[in-house]
Amino acid sequence: MEEPPLREEQEEEEEDDDERDEAGPEGALGKSPFQLTTEDVYDISYVMGRELMALGSDPRVTQLQFKIVRVLEMLEALVNEGSLTVEELRMERDNLRKEVEGLRREGPPANGEVNLGPDKMVIDLADPNRPRFTLQELRDVLQERNSLKSQLLLVQEELQCYKSGLIPAREGPGERREEDAVVPRVSKGGSNKEEKTTIKKLGSFITWQEGDEQAGKRRSGDFADA
Amino acid sequence: MKSSLPPLGPPVSRDRVIASFPKWYTPDACLQRKEQFHGQVNEACQHRHTGTVGLKLSKVVVVGDLYVGKTSLIHRFCKNVFDRDYKATIGVDFEIERFEIAGVPYSLQIWDTAGQEKFKCIASAYYRGAQVIITAFDLTDVQTLEHTRQVPGSAALRVHEGSGTCPTGLPKPEPVAGQWLEDALRENEAGSCFIFLVGTKKDLLSAAACEQAEAEAVHLANEMQAEYWSVSAKTGENVKAFFSRVAALAFEQSVLQDLEKHSSSRLQVGDGDLIRA
Repeated sequence: MEEPPLREEQEEEEEDDDERDEAGPEGALGKSPFQLTTEDVYDISYVMGRELMALGSDPRVTQLQFKIVRVLEMLEALVNEGSLTVEELRMERDNLRKEVEGLRREGPPANGEVNLGPDKMVIDLADPNRPRFTLQELRDVLQERNSLKSQLLLVQEELQCYKSGLIPAREGPGERREEDAVVPRVSKGGSNKEEKTTIKKLGSFITWQEGDEQAGKRRSGDFADA
Repeated sequence: MKSSLPPLGPPVSRDRVIASFPKWYTPDACLQRKEQFHGQVNEACQHRHTGTVGLKLSKVVVVGDLYVGKTSLIHRFCKNVFDRDYKATIGVDFEIERFEIAGVPYSLQIWDTAGQEKFKCIASAYYRGAQVIITAFDLTDVQTLEHTRQVPGSAALRVHEGSGTCPTGLPKPEPVAGQWLEDALRENEAGSCFIFLVGTKKDLLSAAACEQAEAEAVHLANEMQAEYWSVSAKTGENVKAFFSRVAALAFEQSVLQDLEKHSSSRLQVGDGDLIRA
């Protein structure tokens, strides 16, 4: 992207040189003031000196000559400084251009040195242990784990009831299917009823814990009952 | 009629049966000195007046610096295992332990929180509604003791909070390193929680070093209005006794609260036991 303009500039400069060579000292006056060189100023002063001399030795001409010399000196100084500045800027531009190209060549790792400002972090996408998941995702997974764990405890408790004979075994096979359900079934026997209530309560308590953040203290009263 | 009541849930293992009130660890920092259940509680339990639901469950939250052994302590008690390898708790975990106290089924729901600061934003969401707060520290690392509460110097503020007259309108402070107790208390109503201060890894200290560490901890426990215990999850020393004490205190408190609620609502609603029987 940056190459073409440079070339144009160079071509322009070359053209200018050609022009001057062709036009000779007279041509300097026809140039754009922004393209004048000190050489051009000397050419101009040569041309003007020659013409002043042709005007003869009128004292008014001599007076004017001093002023013209002064103006030419000022012009020389301006052109001099202008070309120096241009040269400096050109060098700076070239250096910066080289620097940019160097950085580009070094590629992505160079990004690590980029200053991101406070509270920002750079992640190396090649790092297999890089941070990937959001806080919300972790919360969700924890919730799921906790609810699965509470279901496991619930099932274990129920199993213990079967083993210890609190739930008669003959009731078992027919209702086994329902045990897959998350919410414990409503049982028939008095003892079962009692126990189901307790298990259910445990389950719902865990569920409450999970939604805690949203629920706020809304249900703290329920907790006291638990 | 009472004797014909059905059993409540599956039986609990024998070492979870608490018949007499478990004793404190040290009289210098304990929440209660009596050695029996409250008379009212005893009576209520005998007659199964312990609420209409038949199940009591208390929430226990365990907090403290990373690597002090919160998970090890809980696993020793609930699973009777000890794993030498450290595995950081991610966010929060829980166990449910069933007891039979004074003949009444009772459960502790023990929430094991992560000690790493980065998980605080997750774990702190689980502080709410705790009846018991256990702040654990490493007996061999005095810094972990300091982190159980704010650095000394802001005692006035703490007393202020403890008395339940927390100034309103102040912005909720962000959680900072340590401050475990403050963070847990902030999520609960003032004076509604039992606080325990537990020194872990007792097996790593000589008797003399332990005594010295305990003296400091007992001092802090008194400031925190907490009961102090030294335990070792590795050897199991005091672990069961400690949780039995936690369970008994929490149980008694919730029965008393229930009885109070009951007596005030009885006139209008009638005896809940009638519904159950």
